Amino acid sequence: MTDDLISIEGQDSVSLNRRSFLRTGLGGALFLGTVSVTAGLSGCATAPASRLGAVATRMDARYQFRFLTTEDVDLFEALLPAILGSALPEQPNARRMMIAGTVERIDAGIYKFGPANQKELRQLFDLLNFGPTRVTIARVWPSWRNASTAQADAFLERWRSSSIGLFNNGYMALTKISNVAFYGYQENWHLSGYPGPPEWAVQALPQFRNA
Amino acid sequence: MSFTDRIAQGLESGWKVTDGATLTESQTAEADVVIIGTGAGGGTTAEILAKSGLSVILVEEGRLYYQKDFKMDELTSYANLYQEGMSRATKDGSIAILQGRCVGGSTTVNWTSSFRTPDATLNYWGKRFGLDALSPEAMAPWFSGREARHSISPWEMDPNLNNDILRQGCEKLGYNWQIIPRNVKGCWNLGYCGVGCPTNAKQGALMTTIPGALDHNARLFHGLRAERLVMKQDRIDSLQASAMASDGITPTGIQITLEARHFVVAASAIGSPGLLLRSGLPDPYGRVGKRSFIHPVNASVAQMPKLVDPFYGAPQSVYSDEFNFSNGVDGDVGYKLEVPPLHPAMSAGVVPGHGDTQAENLARLPWMQSVIALLRDGFHEDSPGGTVSLRDDGSPVLDYPVTDYLWKGLRNAFYTMAEIQFAAGAERVRLMHLDSDWYSSWADAKAAIDGFSMEPHRVRLFTAHQMGGCSMGSNPEDSVVNGFGQHHHVSNLSVNDASIFPTSIGANPQLSVYALAARNSTRLAQQLKA
Repeated sequence: MTDDLISIEGQDSVSLNRRSFLRTGLGGALFLGTVSVTAGLSGCATAPASRLGAVATRMDARYQFRFLTTEDVDLFEALLPAILGSALPEQPNARRMMIAGTVERIDAGIYKFGPANQKELRQLFDLLNFGPTRVTIARVWPSWRNASTAQADAFLERWRSSSIGLFNNGYMALTKISNVAFYGYQENWHLSGYPGPPEWAVQALPQFRNA
Repeated sequence: MSFTDRIAQGLESGWKVTDGATLTESQTAEADVVIIGTGAGGGTTAEILAKSGLSVILVEEGRLYYQKDFKMDELTSYANLYQEGMSRATKDGSIAILQGRCVGGSTTVNWTSSFRTPDATLNYWGKRFGLDALSPEAMAPWFSGREARHSISPWEMDPNLNNDILRQGCEKLGYNWQIIPRNVKGCWNLGYCGVGCPTNAKQGALMTTIPGALDHNARLFHGLRAERLVMKQDRIDSLQASAMASDGITPTGIQITLEARHFVVAASAIGSPGLLLRSGLPDPYGRVGKRSFIHPVNASVAQMPKLVDPFYGAPQSVYSDEFNFSNGVDGDVGYKLEVPPLHPAMSAGVVPGHGDTQAENLARLPWMQSVIALLRDGFHEDSPGGTVSLRDDGSPVLDYPVTDYLWKGLRNAFYTMAEIQFAAGAERVRLMHLDSDWYSSWADAKAAIDGFSMEPHRVRLFTAHQMGGCSMGSNPEDSVVNGFGQHHHVSNLSVNDASIFPTSIGANPQLSVYALAARNSTRLAQQLKA
């Protein structure tokens, strides 16, 4: 495993043979673990986010992030337009607000995942945020803050169609977390034609009174 | 309509219920029996033991949620009522695990389908695992007793269209179908079983056995995680438990010691083996955590010409067993066909995709119909199940390798589901596989399925039924407990939940758990009272 890691870090990014080290889930897991440590040591990703891009421009920015770091927020701000596509409003302010709110709900959801799955996601996010691995594994050259929606979409498409299970898994993790946080939110129910709980039942049930 | 919430009333009347988050100092408590887990198995055991006059302490890691909290909202329910905030998955992340984590366990969030253990399954257990005492004849009174206790009967209202499409497709193709028995009383047919029943109609543990136990002086600790059973010589002396903060996930540092004459583990097919492994209990043949089964589930969605509104109405009311035992009990893998409810977050999590295509797919949710296949795993040597082990932090994780035998069954299930949906008039069908497009004819779908690469992650897999890991059997060399759920090596320990099943069930397992737990705890009560 150590040899694998040395060979990866020593290789030119372009000639990196992904299959050689990601053939087994174990190799992948060890590799991700190391990235996490490396990213932490180099000061890339540590403290939860405080001041944020789209999130920061929100009028009501009182939300306290509990898991996502500033870099993670950049990652999701880059990915969400590619993941949500035409479901996002076009009007710039509404769009910003919607992205900011979705990022917050992603954070709240992950907080409830608990420590074990948080650790797995930390490894995934650090892998995507750490420059050398973002370039080699995700094949996205600019930082997420500067990545275009087309670049984000191309990355998602590569991971989706990859024959490497670990990348498919990463694709599913990113899209599922985002889609659930977005479509599950009451204000977005109409985007899936869902009218919400039947009004007559809401009127009749005691738990909806004296809110 | 009168609203008498059983839980709110009980709390007011002085039930002994303690929220772990409110504990400020470490303490010790004692009872005749300590039961770990409050789901189908733990609730049943608690009520029967408490009614027999034994003092009982119930321990639940999740929190107590009830009617006041059940507001038909997916995001809050998934975050609070499900294991790992609905993010639980098998070790490699390829199979999503839907499992409850709250008082009532999975019975608080299941879709109310209530089947007796199929005769073929019970007979197979007798033949293969020396469990002849669990014959269909011997179990029949336990099933009927539990059907009465949980108000189980075939659904009498019309199925919603989502379910009726499964019926229509089966009718067209000459496949058998049946109406599903449900555990409900005065059901409003709303469709929110999976997020906590808002009307108290669902007769899961939360509305039946838990109140029954608390009425008989049982004590419930919720927000309390069972860490370790502590042995003293050849018996268990105590349970060490950690209080959790009100967020349900952060230990507060307060430790509770629970002492008892007897301990019953009912913490689920993932939690129970996890607790036994953490406790380092005798396991001379290395059986704990082995033979874990999940009814692997794959799915197909269809776009129908008429509005389906798959989010409304009893979520499951029609099933087909056409392919469940058609190859014999131990031949090529069989599968049960059912229907899932489709609310926005659930659909967004099940249907893979991103971008404009995904937005368009989900925008058609009201016309979407879905069929799922539940594979009957564990009845063949090429389906040995998965393994529960411990992560570095002591939490349990299930590794479940999907064998070629199962992949073949999953591919067959894709064919069947698409064929049924087209027969019922689907305009387009899409299989839940990363390579699947929408297909507009059965021939196109069939050709595409022929070419699917059946691999982890690419095939979207789910499980809502976790079974095994503390297998029962007559031979201690290949099982953990005997046919009464008593541990082979520790005399004052029983396991009363789905973890003792030696194979999967071949049907939604809640009634199997209720019945077996009732049988085993009735005997246990007699022994402890003697």
